[in-house]
Amino acid sequence: MHRFAARIGSAFAILVLLATTVVRAETVSYAFERSSITFTHIGRTPNGTAVGIDDPAFRSLLKSLGATLTWRTGERMVLITTSAPEVIGFGVGNPQYSVGAVTAQARFAAYMNGSEVYLPFDDVLHALGVSAQDGVLERLLTSLDVQGYGVQAVLVAHGGGILHPRVVTDAPDRVVYEFDGVGTTLAAQRTVNAGGIRSVEITSSGSARDPKTVVTIDLLPGTRHDAPQSGSGEFEVAFGANGSAPPLVEPLQQSVAAASQSAAATPSPPPSDMTNAAATPSSSPSPQATGNATVTAVSVQAGNDGSQTVAIAVTGDATYEWHRLRAPDNRFWIDIENAQLAGGPQDQAEVNPLIALRVRQIDPQTVRIALSLAGDNALDVSPAATGITVNVGTGMLADTAPRGGTGSIGAVVSASEPQTLVTPVPADEYGATGGDQTNWKFGPQSYVPTNPKLIVLDPGHGGSDRGSMHGDLQEAILNLDLAKRVQAILVARGWQVKMTRTIDHDVDPTPRSTQEAIGIGHDNADAYALQARDDIANEAGARLFVSIHCNAYLNSGPNGATVYYSKPMDEPLAQIMDRDIAMSDLGVKDDGTVKSHLYVTLHANMPAVLIETAFLSNPTDYAKLASSQWRQQMAQAIADGIDKYAQQNPVTSSAQ
Amino acid sequence: MRVSRPLFGLVLLLAVAAVAGWYFSRPNVSAPSGPSVTVYYTKLDGTTLGTWDVSFRAAQPGESDAQRLHDLAVYAALQAVAGPPPDISAVHFPAGTRVRDVSVNGSTATVDLTREVGSASGGTFQENGEFKGLVYTLTGIPSINAVQITIEGQTVGTLPGGHLELDAPLRRSDW
Repeated sequence: MHRFAARIGSAFAILVLLATTVVRAETVSYAFERSSITFTHIGRTPNGTAVGIDDPAFRSLLKSLGATLTWRTGERMVLITTSAPEVIGFGVGNPQYSVGAVTAQARFAAYMNGSEVYLPFDDVLHALGVSAQDGVLERLLTSLDVQGYGVQAVLVAHGGGILHPRVVTDAPDRVVYEFDGVGTTLAAQRTVNAGGIRSVEITSSGSARDPKTVVTIDLLPGTRHDAPQSGSGEFEVAFGANGSAPPLVEPLQQSVAAASQSAAATPSPPPSDMTNAAATPSSSPSPQATGNATVTAVSVQAGNDGSQTVAIAVTGDATYEWHRLRAPDNRFWIDIENAQLAGGPQDQAEVNPLIALRVRQIDPQTVRIALSLAGDNALDVSPAATGITVNVGTGMLADTAPRGGTGSIGAVVSASEPQTLVTPVPADEYGATGGDQTNWKFGPQSYVPTNPKLIVLDPGHGGSDRGSMHGDLQEAILNLDLAKRVQAILVARGWQVKMTRTIDHDVDPTPRSTQEAIGIGHDNADAYALQARDDIANEAGARLFVSIHCNAYLNSGPNGATVYYSKPMDEPLAQIMDRDIAMSDLGVKDDGTVKSHLYVTLHANMPAVLIETAFLSNPTDYAKLASSQWRQQMAQAIADGIDKYAQQNPVTSSAQ
Repeated sequence: MRVSRPLFGLVLLLAVAAVAGWYFSRPNVSAPSGPSVTVYYTKLDGTTLGTWDVSFRAAQPGESDAQRLHDLAVYAALQAVAGPPPDISAVHFPAGTRVRDVSVNGSTATVDLTREVGSASGGTFQENGEFKGLVYTLTGIPSINAVQITIEGQTVGTLPGGHLELDAPLRRSDW
């Protein structure tokens, strides 16, 4: 009997052990975008719900948000790249997680259950810009700010997934955007009075299964605005008051589909002056506060060294986040969660380095402290015994400075100081000719041309490879036109010229040389075609190899002419060529010489350069490339550079 | 009072179960933040490098050096391909470019990218800038000094219509 009781007792104990240590499997269903989504890899912890990364519904959710998950068996870090793109990182056993450069505190640490990693569900959804409430998962419009630059302003919204609103109204006094399938907790009306924006109202509509967020922007008379820029996780519209032009904003990273459909706008640095610091926080009446912590006072004290300290007195336990608005608007805000503001809103004008300080209860749980700083002054936010201390003006803001951070007051111990694990690059490695100049990978150290009067010109791309295409211009055609012009000038000066192509066709590889050069088992037609161009010059024993191209980028910002090179023997040719182009009154910016790992210059036995004459993606450069007169001038500059190099570097029997 | 042996065993088991349950379910609030990783990007002049820092998870008990190096390389590669925060102007990889896998063999990290990396018809400017940032980021990790690029698991000579040679590992000295 005793033995029987012992066995029963042991079995019971094991059951208790399993019940308390193994996370109970269950399912959770949500409505999501007009259908239902059921998570089957669900775990429960004392601090909240967890979701397994192998959960098919979780994977499906990530896919619908344009996010990708990176994890392999045995890895202790789960990384999710959002559509923005931004990298969210969860470490197994670590309650901190990262979203881009910002570190946040999760409700609990990610953990292993068998071979599967479980993530804190609410935190991962928050990082993805998705809310889970009342059985509904919805993509959220998570923030909306108006960044004012005097008569100009930019409305910036962030949210989960890809934000592509529908334009409902586009009138002189009002524009209305509707975000289908996107919910928000930001519903409110805000008076702005900046950049021609009178006010912004955010409203929620639709159903739980089909949410809509409507953003209504009331404009002052004479306000102009650009077309909205929609991208992954971000939405921007620029405004200009009194007929002034809206500020030019950096184009957003687009989704693949969106990028293929829309031409990029012209980027340019936004204005550097910051005359309006009143856009955030809201000037609407304070919501009724319900937080447990209390912000009892916010005061500013001047330091002896010109710095200032903002002391935020907080009683109780709370967490806070701080953020910096995008450059050049040097403004910060600190949101203290679970807090109420004692004493009402506060507006305070200050002298340098702090210009203005505003304190508001922005929702029932959140107190926001907004700070406007002069110039490039930086600030430092840290928890203190009495609340939060903000040191202002103790250093200058680097362009890579963090744009946000988190912390806590009271019970939770703040994180230890992180170490640097990656070796910084020495300052002298930055720049056009940076890098280890002694460690060249390819190319002979000397070269004697068997045909010293022969120049090989290589019009880049051609045939099935059109190169960059913008408007009516195609790089393959422009390159050929430029090369032919250079050829004509050189031939007239007594040079022999061989072209890698003379018509708009592919440069066919010669199998023998490509196999030798590239290696058996390597199948890449593009590299074969480039090798074929080098073969023409190498087999002919040419004096120089000059590849002619037109540059391009995803947006229209970059412009100018660049001379690329790869081998040590290329560099003198690149420098002379660049100098000649720069001095030829071509009206195109001199982007200098750039060492790079380019196939055609690496595999040419002789001195070789690749000249990117101008940017097809830049309107000013585009106009120049479209001009035959300009192309003739560019051809003249290239031919002059070749001549000058030949004069300064005569062929000897040993090497050049 | 005399306690029978089976009853004592049962009480002991229950005690062990309770302690184990507490141990495994307790929230971990004391884990330190990890080291920072310096991520490089190429500025819009096409050549100059900038950096930003992201924090990497703290070391885990029992974690091998190889495992940590691998995870660090994955993390660094993902951050480099995602690019810096949106307010920093940088040369970006084409939209949709993702890191499929990263492996470290000796001093060479192999970064496998999705095919979207070849989708842009940008010129030398873009290729040069995007790969320079990626290579500098990974070679900033101690013990990694070269980066082999693959696309969808395949070694390629260049991107489609591309300019940079990618069939051999790239190093900082290539720039």
